[in-house]
Amino acid sequence: MDDILSVAALVGILTSAVRLATPYLYAAIGEAFGQLSGVVNLGVDGIMLVGAFMAIFVALGTGSLWLGVLVAIVAGLLMGLLMSVISVTLKAEQGISGIGLYMFGLGLSSLLFKVLFGTVKTIVGFQPVKIPILGDIPIIGPVLFQQSVLVYGAFLLVPLAWWILEKTTWGLRIKAVGQNPAAADSLGVNVNRVRYASVCLGSALAGLAGASLSLAMVNLFQENLTAGMGFIAVALVYFGSWRPAGILFGALLFSTVNALQLWMQVLGVKIPADAAVMLPYLLTIVVLALTVSRVRGPAALNRPFERGEA
Amino acid sequence: MKPRVLFVALAILSVLVAACAGPAPQASQPAKPLRVAVIMPSATTDYAFSQSMWSALKKVQEEMGGESKMELKYSENMFKVPDAAAAIRDYASQGFDIVIAHGSQYVASAGEIAKDFPNVTFVWGTDVKTFDLPNVYAYTPAAEEGGYVQGVMAAMMTKNGLIGITGPVEVGDAKAYVNGFEQGVKAVNPNIKINKTWTGSFSDVALMTEAAKTHIAAGADVLTGSSQSAVGSINAAKEKGDVLWFGLQSDQAPLAPKNVVSCVVYDWAPMLKEVIAARQAGQPGGKVFVLRLKDGGLKVVMNPEVAVPAEVKKAAEEAVEGIQNGTIKVTP
Amino acid sequence: MAIPKPRNNSGADATAQRRIQRIEMCDIVKRFPGVLANDRVCFDVKAGEVHALLGENGAGKSTLMRQLFGLYKPDEGEILIDGQRVEFNSPADAIRAGIGMIHQHFMLVPTLTVTQNVALGLKSSREPLTDLDVVAKRVRQLSEEYGLKVDPDAYIWQLSVGEQQRVEILKALYRNASMIILDEPTAVLTPQEVKDLFATLRRMVQEGHGLVFISHKLYEVLAISDRVTVLRDGRVIGTRETKDVTRDELARMMVGREVKRLRAQPQQAGEPLLQIRALRAMGDRGTEALRGIDLEVRSGEIVGIAGVSGNGQRELAECLGGLRKATAGTILVAGKDLTHASVQQRLQAGLAYIPEERMRDGAIKEFSVLENMFLLDHASPKYTHGIFLDFRRMREHAAALVKEYTVKTPSLETPIKNLSGGNIQKTIMARELSREPRVLVAAQPSRGIDIGATEYIHQRLLEQRASGQAILLISEDLDEVQALSDRIAVMYEGRIVGIVGRGQATAEQLGLMMAGVPMEEAMGAAPTAPTAEQPIEVSSVV
Repeated sequence: MDDILSVAALVGILTSAVRLATPYLYAAIGEAFGQLSGVVNLGVDGIMLVGAFMAIFVALGTGSLWLGVLVAIVAGLLMGLLMSVISVTLKAEQGISGIGLYMFGLGLSSLLFKVLFGTVKTIVGFQPVKIPILGDIPIIGPVLFQQSVLVYGAFLLVPLAWWILEKTTWGLRIKAVGQNPAAADSLGVNVNRVRYASVCLGSALAGLAGASLSLAMVNLFQENLTAGMGFIAVALVYFGSWRPAGILFGALLFSTVNALQLWMQVLGVKIPADAAVMLPYLLTIVVLALTVSRVRGPAALNRPFERGEA
Repeated sequence: MKPRVLFVALAILSVLVAACAGPAPQASQPAKPLRVAVIMPSATTDYAFSQSMWSALKKVQEEMGGESKMELKYSENMFKVPDAAAAIRDYASQGFDIVIAHGSQYVASAGEIAKDFPNVTFVWGTDVKTFDLPNVYAYTPAAEEGGYVQGVMAAMMTKNGLIGITGPVEVGDAKAYVNGFEQGVKAVNPNIKINKTWTGSFSDVALMTEAAKTHIAAGADVLTGSSQSAVGSINAAKEKGDVLWFGLQSDQAPLAPKNVVSCVVYDWAPMLKEVIAARQAGQPGGKVFVLRLKDGGLKVVMNPEVAVPAEVKKAAEEAVEGIQNGTIKVTP
Repeated sequence: MAIPKPRNNSGADATAQRRIQRIEMCDIVKRFPGVLANDRVCFDVKAGEVHALLGENGAGKSTLMRQLFGLYKPDEGEILIDGQRVEFNSPADAIRAGIGMIHQHFMLVPTLTVTQNVALGLKSSREPLTDLDVVAKRVRQLSEEYGLKVDPDAYIWQLSVGEQQRVEILKALYRNASMIILDEPTAVLTPQEVKDLFATLRRMVQEGHGLVFISHKLYEVLAISDRVTVLRDGRVIGTRETKDVTRDELARMMVGREVKRLRAQPQQAGEPLLQIRALRAMGDRGTEALRGIDLEVRSGEIVGIAGVSGNGQRELAECLGGLRKATAGTILVAGKDLTHASVQQRLQAGLAYIPEERMRDGAIKEFSVLENMFLLDHASPKYTHGIFLDFRRMREHAAALVKEYTVKTPSLETPIKNLSGGNIQKTIMARELSREPRVLVAAQPSRGIDIGATEYIHQRLLEQRASGQAILLISEDLDEVQALSDRIAVMYEGRIVGIVGRGQATAEQLGLMMAGVPMEEAMGAAPTAPTAEQPIEVSSVV
């Protein structure tokens, strides 16, 4: 029981947590952009799968990890474009088209995996890069500054997303379109264009989330590799009240508790494994229940825009 | 409405993609072949549970004389039980002779379906119940036997005296294997420490990877575990370099040739052949198969690329013998 | 034609580069499935004038203006700006041309600040960053210039309806709109706010803006406009100089026939039939909506409840109708305690209820007129043989009611949802009044209903009053309340802030009370002496 309080364990837990949070951060912040503009994309998991596969496939084929990342982003973008056409232009029910997109991504990644790989393949992924000076700080150094590039990217994305949403005209438009598209339209904002851009950006980030999974975390690909991570990411958006900082908190909470329960099991803390596994989810629910959010979501979430409708 | 058309198109596309992932349609044969279908929770290429069954079926098919003698169909990735149940019923009503429900989570639904198709032989596992149905065979591997043998080797090969077990969910053969493994370790050296984690999922590779990394960070230099998500653990061991791995269910050596010491491999082929023979002899069910080291259903396959000291090999062989002749008792 | 003045504008966000002198809409035709919304409509507006667009609900006023603002495209006809033909594909085009529109339902993003709402859609001087400080500065300038008081940093959801409207006007001004369309701008305002709005509008006209003022309220049109165009059934009935036209003439143009003016003599009220004591109830959001209501309505009396929407009127009506639970206090009808009575018991005690949401609480959309007429009495022995309904009898009765109440319906079997708002309301009234209740609660009986039907409903209410019923009239239309009520009770934040007799308070004084000013203070504020008791003159056209 004392072991869990040791510095080594603490560093271990936090390092794991930061690593585990990475794909959730990319995916959830991406999803937040789409949702703030009024489009729920439940296809995140499918996009992540395609991104994860494309990343490792291209990286193995070309020997360039970065090319893999790029292709994963492009693949995510294309799937986002598909989602936009269906839910924005054709105004199909978002929940259903998102699930359709998920199934499409799951099927496509499995098919490509079978045809192109045939069996589980591993890769030497992005290695931890120690940042000079900062990396030497006790505890904080190994936890935050001895990680891989894609981990840094995910954490830098948080302030970047905040900056875009709060400081740029584009962010203002995204929020307006998600809250009151008719108002934005009446001021000459092209509602559908903003939604296309937001959904495509979100999906590109989901593709990147997949790449971070297959190239920086597990360094392999297997069918249904994400095992539902994309859906957790969607939940994190609600948990974080559509704010990047909130999503960061949610992702870190979830992954820290997950890392903690693994350490507790390793160190033989006497709790049943089933209970330990439930911990992250349980805590998430408790936090949600306690922080009764006064923040209301985008009012036009799930509603296609039709000009002239009162 | 346009959106609907597009959605339908997308749905059809998804189905097509899924269908393409299945086996190619087979040409009709003049002589009526034996028709066998299998439903699996993960992919045929999972380096674990599903792959072991699929390889065995392919082997049996080959021995019987190829597709003209034995038609083989499969549904993989049926991680949702209701979907699996639907697939089982579909195959049964399509007139398949033998339907294999390969996953302990399917047993309850398969039991219901078996009553409706008395002419179809149902083979399910891993379980020891046939519900007294005359057309059902059940099978289960005595994974603890293999676990014991690998536990003996692991105990002798750890330098740190610390072994990590990365389990998926504490049920079925995963649980039995771990129990056997622990008994094997303790038989060699009761002072060796064993850390255990369960991720609560058979498929969460990311969490499994993190669990393995946690064990390594805590000082473990030998790891073991099971399920299709075990590839995450194996890769973590491989990336660390000097961590050894003991596998279960399928030969995992190709994944990490320098790290995988040995694997307990399920060979379902003898059991399958027995089932086919019994059915053809007019006995459509009524038996429980337990795969043991003794009858070849369970094998410990060594990876020739990892150098194993002679005394370790010898101890392993003695353990196998002991279990086979009953001098060593392993509880699941 | 005047030479366009160069526009002086600061900031990089200038849109319209010059002032529009005249907009003409010629032979505009707009069709919707099954409806000809605009039928060869011609309309024009000049800089420096208020041109009112008057008509009943559904006359095609908003549709016409939405085409001018680029929200719809006309099927036929053309729009000319200073003689140049223009075509707008979106509001962006209209804004660029110098047109602004204040919508009836505000086009604001509640979760953003005033400044952010103004800045939305504009090019920033610091792209891609926002320049909210620059925008806020200009907003302050404009609000001072036009007397539009509002805090640029406040969030929209924090603002009152009147303030929100100011933001809408600021948005248009910020975009240098020289022609501004106001769609029913007074519908949601208190009398004070209307006064302020009119002052702003006059200032805008002085500054050279042209304004289109859409309304169905005659007195407002007469008060603010220079010219008025009346639309009816999608067609222009005529355009007049406001100074040359009378209220009666406008009413006639609007309705298409002479509008009757009713004269009702004051009458002695009898014994109290509806008594409400210390009534309390919760609102939908979990806060207390009624905080101790004391009120009495006597036989032969109409008591009007005035107030700005959302001050507990709806909850009061629902409590009386049995749709909402009272948490404290009592409701007596003819001396009988009905506080916790079921709807059925209330009906039997002689309480009738005309709900505010007539399609939700008053009728079943998919049911026919006949079925809706018998929603309450289907189990009465008059219309049943054993367990079967006597349809022949029901039909006879319903046919008589349809005739008596002049409900316009193709047949008794027509689903009620296919009827106009006025005819649905008449059906509900026929059902409720034919039961000969002793107490009638009428919530917003004329909201969204054309003048003809409103006139009929008002007449009917006065007849009920004459026959000795006690009527509680809840309305957000202050004119309706003033015209019909013997006494007026003003509600504010779940309480009654004062009760005044007929003619004792001006609209302004009532308006102050509606804004929460205590009665003594409000009555002292305006020097108008209370007028003596006099026969009320009721006109449906108010």
